[in-house]
Amino acid sequence: MPATDYQGLSASISRSILSLRRDQIHSMEPTHEASGHDLELEAFQRQVADRFLDLSSVGSDDLLSLSWIRKLLDSFLCCQEEFRVILFNNRSQVYKAPLDRLINDFFERSVKALDLCNAIRDGIEQIREWKKLIEIVLCALDNRRILGEGQFRRAKKALIDLALSMLDERESTAALAHRNRSFGRQNAASSRDHRNFGHFRSLSWSVSRSWSAARQLQAIGNNLAAPKANEIVATNGIAVAVYTMNSILLFVMWALVAAIPCQDRGLQVHFSIPRQFSWAVPILSLHERVLEESRKRDRRNACGLLREIYQMDKCTKALAEMADSVQFPLTEEKEAEVRLRVQELGKVCEVIKEALDPLERQVRDVFHRIVHSRTEGLDSLGRVNHND
Amino acid sequence: MDDNGEEKLMAMARHIAKTLGHNESMADDIFQIFSNFDGRFSRDKLSEKISGAAGDDLRDSASLKQTLDYLERQVSQYVVADHPIWSDSVDSSAFLDSIDELIATIRDWNPMASADKSISACLVRAEDFMQQAMFRLEEEFRLLMERGCESFELARPYGNGESTGNVSLDSDDDDEEAIITNGEDHNQIPVAQPLTHYNILIDALPSGTINDLHEIAKRMVAAGFGKECSHVYSSCRREFLEESMSRLGMQKLSMEEVQRMPWQDLEDEIDKWIKAANVALRILFPSERRLCDRVFFGFSSAADLSFMEVCRGSMVQILNFADAVAIGSRSPERLFKLLDFFETLRDLMPDFESNFSDQYCLVLRNDAVAIWKRLGEAIRGIFMELQNLIRRDPAKAPVPRGGLHPITRYVMNYLRAACRSSQTLEQVFEENVKLIPSEDSSSSLSVQIAWIMELLESNLQMKSKIYGDSALCSLFMMNNGRYIVQKVNDSQLGSLLGDDWIRKHTAKIKQFQMSYQRSSWNKVLGILRADNGPAAPNVGGNSLSMKEKMMFFNSHFEETCKTQSHWIIFDEQLRKELRISLANLLLPAYVNFIRRFQNSPELGKRADKYIKYTLKDIEAHINVLFQGGSESAGSGK
Repeated sequence: MPATDYQGLSASISRSILSLRRDQIHSMEPTHEASGHDLELEAFQRQVADRFLDLSSVGSDDLLSLSWIRKLLDSFLCCQEEFRVILFNNRSQVYKAPLDRLINDFFERSVKALDLCNAIRDGIEQIREWKKLIEIVLCALDNRRILGEGQFRRAKKALIDLALSMLDERESTAALAHRNRSFGRQNAASSRDHRNFGHFRSLSWSVSRSWSAARQLQAIGNNLAAPKANEIVATNGIAVAVYTMNSILLFVMWALVAAIPCQDRGLQVHFSIPRQFSWAVPILSLHERVLEESRKRDRRNACGLLREIYQMDKCTKALAEMADSVQFPLTEEKEAEVRLRVQELGKVCEVIKEALDPLERQVRDVFHRIVHSRTEGLDSLGRVNHND
Repeated sequence: MDDNGEEKLMAMARHIAKTLGHNESMADDIFQIFSNFDGRFSRDKLSEKISGAAGDDLRDSASLKQTLDYLERQVSQYVVADHPIWSDSVDSSAFLDSIDELIATIRDWNPMASADKSISACLVRAEDFMQQAMFRLEEEFRLLMERGCESFELARPYGNGESTGNVSLDSDDDDEEAIITNGEDHNQIPVAQPLTHYNILIDALPSGTINDLHEIAKRMVAAGFGKECSHVYSSCRREFLEESMSRLGMQKLSMEEVQRMPWQDLEDEIDKWIKAANVALRILFPSERRLCDRVFFGFSSAADLSFMEVCRGSMVQILNFADAVAIGSRSPERLFKLLDFFETLRDLMPDFESNFSDQYCLVLRNDAVAIWKRLGEAIRGIFMELQNLIRRDPAKAPVPRGGLHPITRYVMNYLRAACRSSQTLEQVFEENVKLIPSEDSSSSLSVQIAWIMELLESNLQMKSKIYGDSALCSLFMMNNGRYIVQKVNDSQLGSLLGDDWIRKHTAKIKQFQMSYQRSSWNKVLGILRADNGPAAPNVGGNSLSMKEKMMFFNSHFEETCKTQSHWIIFDEQLRKELRISLANLLLPAYVNFIRRFQNSPELGKRADKYIKYTLKDIEAHINVLFQGGSESAGSGK
């Protein structure tokens, strides 16, 4: 779904607000109003379900790809916007008991999501850093050049930096020693590489060292339970919309953490959505598929399940192995093999280059939407109490 | 003649090379020295004569091979050197010269590589030791960056010769606002003077080192290793900058941590932030920018990219905290600190602009603007919260004796304090108005303040209702109204609300005074003034006799004075005015009444027996009214 979708949506929302107001003015019967209200809530459920059905129809090759993540964020923004309108249309009762407690709870959870947005932004920056190293590799093993030892050494150095940077923080110290052994054996030139290991510095995160994405996710999911029948009745059904939005928030944040590197990732979040919600099935199936992905042998220690990171990792590992084992001059066969990998890596790099900026903008957008809706909520809370 | 001269020169050069050079490689080295010495001895010309009749292709590749042999020897002696090359300027410039030549050679021969296998093979070899030279350069670059910082750190306590500004680093002084302190266990911790202005730049590296770095960067960019160079550069500087930030007391706090932090602690963090952001944006970032521009002079894109990579993390840290504060609680107590925060960001906007306007940093600058706007939003939110609090403040027990209500005192002093930043507040509310055009000509801040005053008044009115006595209710309104007008008058609020507002509210106090007089004294006055005629007002439907009127006055006056001497008017002036007004009201009527009373036929000579109060008594009683009772007289203010 293109990014413009939810902008178009806002326009249609202002229209729908207008028409809804007109309805209220023209017809004074409460039944009419009630049915409009019910329709609105039903439409929200249906749209959420449609969006996640669409997202879950993704093929396994595209799951967790940059384009899929962007589509996920677009869906989130649309849901968030619709939810905001629901709150706005029901502002008279939304901020009174028993609903005010649920809304406040939702705001609490969304503030926690803000930190995740910032962490994801750091992660995007991290990927950018990798992209730069890949560009060095591509530059060294450029298509036009004759591939000599020098180019391989240059590429290898960038590959080593990349491999170190891609290792999870936890493992990095242990891995450093390991990499030293596996990369820098043979000749004097590699001992030069050796010296450079100690200089490798990864980007630092903008949060303190003790901050953990896994814990933050758990905090968002904490005590998240489907509303009971009496709650639904007492809140005119809005409790269901709040629960829906809470679940979407949790899932989207969880998927981001799954895909993109950030400090102390962890996917152990309990999803228990009752299957009677129409959107539960697609979300649960996506959840299952992402988990499966994370359990795959070659992904278990990945710093992010993003498709492109996986491809990058695969290409660079293969290239690193070749760089370690090649004999010069290269055989034609070997050279073709290298060129193929480089081409592959170039493609991934191109995809990353194209998608990273828009992705970052979207993450910022999610951040701002959350802030905005919360601010609006707090303002209304003040105003409504005035009318008491 | 020129040609002839040159020809001779060449011949001599060849001769020297052949006689001195015991072997081929030595002769080659001598050629190289010549060619370095003067452009006329280009290797092409010299080797052309050597190879003589050989074919063109062969001649080319042989000459390339010779050059490369020479360059390889030159380069590799440095590549394997186990001491820092830049510790000796002769070594370093020789190394750079060889690299220049290597770059030029590769560039010149590259077009011929596709046509000639042997040239292409030579170039592979050239690329190979070019790569080794580049790795060595990268390492030297890193060393220079690190050593530069170290040497600088040692030199620091003795002043900074490189600095363009005059940061005074005086270790005798005990000023607390040190901008850069070591915070470690050294005895020689330099303490800077408090900063009054920020128009200074720091050179984190000695000037000579910067030149060396530039020379290296130039070669690395020319050889296509610009990315590596930028990578080393930014990782070193980033570390330096992040350390500076943490020395400035900036902590890495998450949004949630900021939300959870007690306000007092957060206030401290905001103070630290204000200092750190000023130093960062006015000293550290511009210094980094300058360093970047000097090291990557002539490569603006590499400079911009490196600068962004150096500063991004620190900048994000600065912005994230601002963001977290902006979305925090809107409790009114936060206003003043947030105003400081807002003003700091506002004043830093030109610095964001000048530091972060290139293609890579634009996003950061836009974020800064957005966050600044959000802080304005937060301040508006605080005003809204204040309004809600006033509106919702419940009428609990009435303030005893009709005195000043705490909410009046709180709101007025709050607004007075807020108006010390009225210019900033105007700005904050103007921002808002642009979106919702209003026909009102007055500033949006004064509209806000007037609205708060209105809310306060109606809240007070609601509170006055819980007094059983309508006179006391009016007195309460008088007191609070008087306080409000006073506070408006002697502060900026006056000019914000305008003279009309003050006039209107002074008149309102008068109205409350009138209504006080009405409820307290009208009945008595009526009795005193009434004629004995049939149209006279009466009590309980029957017209009263003179004696009954006297009795009524005596008891009512006594009772009223007894009650109202416990009431309070905190403002002395108002109290005096009201007493005078009461005296002017009561005394003439009483004088008149007494006269009529004494002349009354029905009482005759017994009249004086019923007169309880002399004029002096009445005056004396009036003069002890509104003192709040004996125990608390004069404690109203």
